[in-house]
Amino acid sequence: MLWVGWGLALLALALLAGQYAAGQADMFVSIANPRPLDEDHMVITLTGWGFASKAAQPFLTGASDFGLSDVRVYATRRQMLTSIASFGFVRPVTVAWRAHAGVQPLGDA
Amino acid sequence: MPIVQLGEPGRWTNYHGTGFSRDATRFGLRCGDAQRGRDELAIAAAAVRDWLERAKTQGKRVRPLGAGWSPSNINICADGWLLHTRRFNRCFRIGQDDVRPGIDAGALMLVEAGALVDEVSDKLEEQGRSLWTSGAGNGQTFAGACATGTHGSMVARGGIQDHVRAVQIVTPQSTYWVEPETGVMTDDFIAATGAVPLRNDDVFAAAQLPVGSLGIVTAMVVDSVPKFLVRPIQNLRVIDRDALDWLATGDFRRFSAAYALDRDPAFVQMIVNPYKPFKRPAMLRFLYREDWRPDYPHASPGELGAGYDALSLLGRFLDDYPFARGALLQFAMKRGYASGPDVDDPPVYGSWGEGLDTHRPLADLFNASVTIDRADLPHVFELVCHAYARHGGSTVMTVRFMERAQGLLAPARFPHNAVIDFDGPRSARTAKAYQAVVDLLDAEGVAFTRHWAKSCWLDATRVAADYGEDLQRWLAARNRLIPDPADRALFRSEVLDGLGLTC
Repeated sequence: MLWVGWGLALLALALLAGQYAAGQADMFVSIANPRPLDEDHMVITLTGWGFASKAAQPFLTGASDFGLSDVRVYATRRQMLTSIASFGFVRPVTVAWRAHAGVQPLGDA
Repeated sequence: MPIVQLGEPGRWTNYHGTGFSRDATRFGLRCGDAQRGRDELAIAAAAVRDWLERAKTQGKRVRPLGAGWSPSNINICADGWLLHTRRFNRCFRIGQDDVRPGIDAGALMLVEAGALVDEVSDKLEEQGRSLWTSGAGNGQTFAGACATGTHGSMVARGGIQDHVRAVQIVTPQSTYWVEPETGVMTDDFIAATGAVPLRNDDVFAAAQLPVGSLGIVTAMVVDSVPKFLVRPIQNLRVIDRDALDWLATGDFRRFSAAYALDRDPAFVQMIVNPYKPFKRPAMLRFLYREDWRPDYPHASPGELGAGYDALSLLGRFLDDYPFARGALLQFAMKRGYASGPDVDDPPVYGSWGEGLDTHRPLADLFNASVTIDRADLPHVFELVCHAYARHGGSTVMTVRFMERAQGLLAPARFPHNAVIDFDGPRSARTAKAYQAVVDLLDAEGVAFTRHWAKSCWLDATRVAADYGEDLQRWLAARNRLIPDPADRALFRSEVLDGLGLTC
């Protein structure tokens, strides 16, 4: 039975390694014709497996009078390790965005 | 007041994550809703002069900042004031009454300094016009792209700054409207923008490529050509050594006939794997120019091969597994680029603007380049590949072609240029390999220049040697625009001082 235990342990390790790697994936959404300003980001920490969330700043983007050009969501290595070490209870993710600079109509000089 | 402070002072990191300002105070220059472009420029120029005066009073250095793309950190100063221009991005038609006799106003457009190349391209296409060349990506501001001599690979054209016909520059003492001696805009128009005309060929040639050191560029007049279509062909082919001779002599038709269509290409680009460049297939891209017609089958930017700049998404494992570097690069070339349309695929078409795209920020990017005389390509190509590969360079090499570009400090200063780009994941080993290429070219006695915006580690001695008399003319133009050394000090930064442009 020992080898079954080792096998399960290896399987669990592989699952964790997979989650660690995949959790750092970069999810990116953009509008079709982006006119971006500088990138800004915030770290949102989900707790209790998503029952609550908090961030160091309000969940509002600055300089977004014209909406957002693009958004990406990812976790850093440290964030994934935090998540794995807390069994997913604490799940920090980084949300980065670039506000839209606005599309101005062609004028006359 | 079109200038507003953006948040509290703090760290600001550039687009590619290659540099940061420690304690930058950020300001934004914003466009207004003035009915005429000239009125908007007058308001903005006055605001910028006030802002420069405040910076001078407070002993702060300043930097204009467009999209923040330059990985060379040429747009960064450690703890100064940064003026973001991205929201100063309106474009305006120019009337025939506003230009001097003999100038076709229909070809020109007035562009505020924060407009992206992509925006300028869109606005020109709205009017049935087009840029004739631009860089691989379109996400820089037009003014920023010109300031560093950005280029593409249109074989009969120069750099993006060649489109510029006039520049409005704000300095602490004045607002200048810089044009060639023959002139472009009327004195009445220039006065209405709040500027004084400065018609001088040398100052204009300096202002076409100002490297962010001649004051704050607030607007430009941009030239264009009638809108045209391009048909792309993109394929993987093993390149023969003889093909380098065809490229070196400008026989692009023969190169095209051998690897794509038997037609004169407007654009030729070759992305090679420096590990066995004549054995592993190179990614070739050709664009064939055709007259504009509105009923062409529209293709998506992906189908047109938009975003053809070099591989940037390959991870650090290229550094970790040197034995597999050549194969990994080849894998990435296949995965990272749109495959086709090849010669036998149904043709797709697009305007020049549709074939280019802005792209997302890429962290950990290394990019550098050398610009050589096209005639030197057969002699140095294999040597460069060998030196770069032997020292562990972890990027592909992209070869682009262009004619001599305008501007005193244009890196494309040979009559016919081949630009070899090294773009990809950043690592110390790749940087060292690039340095090996630089050393090799020096040892071979091959003249070359380097891109202002890329991580090319130029210094003042090298800049003086590369640009010679043209640098002295550029410095004289700078001193004419900003005669007071105290005013010139406003635009100093560690990087620009190191290049000898601001001290």
